[in-house]
Amino acid sequence: MISENLVLGTSTLLFAIGAAGVLLHRHPVAMLMAVEIMLNAANLLIVLGARVNGNADAESAALIVLVLAAAEAVIGLALALALFRRKPLPDIDEAVEIRG
Amino acid sequence: MSSLFVPLALGCLVALLSALVVVLVRRPIYAAISLLVHSLSLAALFALLSEPMVAVGQLIIYSGAIVVLFLFVVTLLPTGGRELSPNGSRIAMAGVASGSLLVAFAAVLGVGAPPAKPPVDLGPYAVGLALFGPNVLIAFELTAPLLLVAMIGAVVIWRRHEPSSRVAHKPPAVVEPRHLVMHR
Repeated sequence: MISENLVLGTSTLLFAIGAAGVLLHRHPVAMLMAVEIMLNAANLLIVLGARVNGNADAESAALIVLVLAAAEAVIGLALALALFRRKPLPDIDEAVEIRG
Repeated sequence: MSSLFVPLALGCLVALLSALVVVLVRRPIYAAISLLVHSLSLAALFALLSEPMVAVGQLIIYSGAIVVLFLFVVTLLPTGGRELSPNGSRIAMAGVASGSLLVAFAAVLGVGAPPAKPPVDLGPYAVGLALFGPNVLIAFELTAPLLLVAMIGAVVIWRRHEPSSRVAHKPPAVVEPRHLVMHR
């Protein structure tokens, strides 16, 4: 019981840290790293639920979240690198429009 | 359960500290390395929570693929990933947002985890049955086109922003007049 609450608290704190990182940084790659922390926090909660309920469906959902994180990282990093081609010192607030 | 407490607490501590380093450090290369430590500690947590499949997936997909992708991108960054420093309003906004998120989640999760049921076998066999079972099958099958679309999308985004001048305005090759050398 104590261990489950410990993991619950860790997951909550990790999500808050990730959200703070997304808002704090102006560098798109650093923002993506903070988003990855938030995804990891959610995954930790899913895994904890799978263990508490003894549910294999939740464990496979955690695997799918991993694949989702991979796809998100690929697209996000491609967008970040495309932004760097325009400007060497980017500010994420200046990317107000995405055009081809 | 008490024998698991100390390793779990250690894993949680490492995960929290490395996440703080990812967020607070200013150079992306240190943040990427700290993200590697973070994902390794989460894999250890998953293994301690008796989820071997997710732990292995975290090791292979996260530590092996995503973090290495981040490291590659950080080495590609111009100016070594230098970044404008956050201004005061941004720091205040981040503090307020994360604080309110923390309070909201703490209120929701304050009731604590429900008592654990007796552990059932969640090994690869059970996960395989669940992945191809009726609940997760569609989501599992849709990950294949998702990955394909992500791959094609990354290539398209990259090619679209390629500077076209390199191809269109290629300077004409200068043809040096050749000197004829007569050998005797």
